[in-house]
Amino acid sequence: MSVKACLKAAVFLAAMAGSAHAQTQITMWSNWPDEPAKKDWVTARVQEFEAANKQCSVKLNFIPKADIYTQAKSAVRTGQAPDIFYMEPDQPEFLAGGFLEPLDSYIDLAGLEDWAKPAWTSKGKVYGVPVEAYTVELYYNKDQVKKVGIDVPASAQLTQAQFTDLVKKGVAAGITPISQGVGDRPFPGALLTYEALLRRLGTDDYGKLLAGELSYKDPRVAEVMGWVKELVDAGAYPKSFATLKLGESHYYFYQKPGALTFPDPSWFTGRAFAAPESGGMPKDFPLGIMQFPAMDKGDCPNCKTLAVAGSFVLYSKSKNKDCAGALLKSMANVENGTKWMEQVSLQTGLKSDPAKIKSPHEAYFKELTARNADVKYFFGTPLFHYRAKCAETFTQVMNNAFPAGLISVADAADKMDAACLKK
Amino acid sequence: MSDMAKHAGTDVEAPARASRAPRTRRFSDPRRASFPVLLVFLVPALAIYFGLTAYPAFRTIYDSFFTIEGMERIPVGFANYVALWQDETFWVAVRNTFIWAFVAPILDVATGLLLALALYAGVPFARFLRIAWFTPVLLSYVVVAILWMWIYNYDWGVVNELLRAMGLGDLARSWLGDPNTALAAVIVTHAWKWAGFNMVVCLAAIHSLPREVLEASELDNCGWGAKLRYMIVPMLKPTLLNLYVLAFIGKMKVFDLVWIMTGGGPLWATETVSTYVYKRAFNWNTFDLGYPSAIAAVWFGVVCAAVILLNKIFKSKDRLEY
Repeated sequence: MSVKACLKAAVFLAAMAGSAHAQTQITMWSNWPDEPAKKDWVTARVQEFEAANKQCSVKLNFIPKADIYTQAKSAVRTGQAPDIFYMEPDQPEFLAGGFLEPLDSYIDLAGLEDWAKPAWTSKGKVYGVPVEAYTVELYYNKDQVKKVGIDVPASAQLTQAQFTDLVKKGVAAGITPISQGVGDRPFPGALLTYEALLRRLGTDDYGKLLAGELSYKDPRVAEVMGWVKELVDAGAYPKSFATLKLGESHYYFYQKPGALTFPDPSWFTGRAFAAPESGGMPKDFPLGIMQFPAMDKGDCPNCKTLAVAGSFVLYSKSKNKDCAGALLKSMANVENGTKWMEQVSLQTGLKSDPAKIKSPHEAYFKELTARNADVKYFFGTPLFHYRAKCAETFTQVMNNAFPAGLISVADAADKMDAACLKK
Repeated sequence: MSDMAKHAGTDVEAPARASRAPRTRRFSDPRRASFPVLLVFLVPALAIYFGLTAYPAFRTIYDSFFTIEGMERIPVGFANYVALWQDETFWVAVRNTFIWAFVAPILDVATGLLLALALYAGVPFARFLRIAWFTPVLLSYVVVAILWMWIYNYDWGVVNELLRAMGLGDLARSWLGDPNTALAAVIVTHAWKWAGFNMVVCLAAIHSLPREVLEASELDNCGWGAKLRYMIVPMLKPTLLNLYVLAFIGKMKVFDLVWIMTGGGPLWATETVSTYVYKRAFNWNTFDLGYPSAIAAVWFGVVCAAVILLNKIFKSKDRLEY
């Protein structure tokens, strides 16, 4: 080969290498490795982005949420965090530590629901793309509830006494009244208690309770906790409550051994609508959604918790903010919000067009929409509001020990006040 | 120098002469490694030791005097240590860890010794049992934890199923969900995992015992119980104590099994110092590493002090001669 030919080859290779370098690779960590519908949605958005932006490629990893948080906490400090990562608004330390980039100049904020923006707003800037939103719902097995002799009224809301009756009848019939477990989550055991507290106290006082401005010894709080304790003592929860994992509690509800009700955020669909052989709900399962019971002397029977969960944030020290910002921009629009609703059958903080939603779970959507008509939302679950020792006490006491029947109302109130009540 | 020493080719004054020899001569000795060669061998090991052990340890102690929020470091003196003194959860974790560290090794060592004695006595299928009993040592904590979570499952776990089969259904419970049984349940799991290791060490020690002493005892019509009590166990004492101290150190740092099986619950009944440090560092809605560093620093001191104390207590003044 002549010198000239060698030089030509070298120039060609250098050009190829140059063009390869021109492509920027960004890294992205997403949750939902075990939720096919959500995983597919994220994968599809990334693939669409890569197809439309040849100068950017995305190294996408699906990692369980707890691992993302742990790894991200170390990585952000050393400048090694991914350009985009999954985050929920209940991890405010990332924002407070200055590790998140404001997105106002990267995405079109008109693509986000107005009610979802505050979850990620700080000092007038928006820091996250709120993909996943949810309401706290009470799912039930229509056939089993009917079988034990309880008729759910047209309003889909039982009274406090009727719900007590449902629990007692379920126990008498040998059917677990409430499928719930806290083996791997810090919140499910408290869902019934706190939804009952919200309906009893109304949004203002409930907000004060979660802000540490109202004592757990308030007579109204004590009444609600006393009622929950009555249900617990009657055998409302599975005996394996302490070790039952979230995925297992799904299976417990709609497969074996079966239960009357299943309090769960509306992200229920992520597991329930998976194929039955993958642990999903059987096709003919008689699923219903009822409102949490209306509490006696309740200030707000039509109240309900609404929250933003899975979101994507941009790392403030990212060296590839252009590509990363462009990816987030490509996600945050009405079209993708509609696709999320269709594919995941779950609410989203992205704007969506309900008229265009075509889903095989249309009946479910109709019922979910009906349960969310004329409701008054309270924003955020307890863990969205509680921090540090108060959050840990909530997890140990209200999520675990209290619904497991390990602790009295007075002791639970003492521990929560000691950890959360502002002096 | 005596004639005998010369004849034997030894030179008793040689060390003294060597110490008087000039420094340069020592390095010129072709049988000795040169300084650069020494460096080649030492530097990687020292770099790894200082980089991955010494520096992080000193840095942890240094960090314990700061509050570290995001990129900001605020010196707080001994405030983290004062807060630690008043931290109820920390003291619960200390209590649980001490139970682990002092009680569980007795179970570990006793189980290992019993298994080793069973093999030494020649139980049927001894070769198979030796492998079977050692296998848990090879399993990861994650596998062991999941296995035992199934065993303890309230609805279909082996423990409760056995109790029900024996007509003792009233005793069935959520072993990991009850604060009264959770810690014991996790300790049993840990003992199961490590019994094989203790068994192997005990078995090796038993086989190294002087046969003539044991045979003499048999000639004296010494029964198994008496032989065990008066001969085997006393002669194995140094091995057993070393196993105890090793187990003690391991249990003072126990984390994996607790984290997977109970996460420190219910009601902090299984919280250990290590799980609490992890929670404070990574699950507390804060980036502050100052407070968890203070816990880690205190616990480092406690573990060192406890090991020194145990060594002093267990140091046998009357060494066995055989």
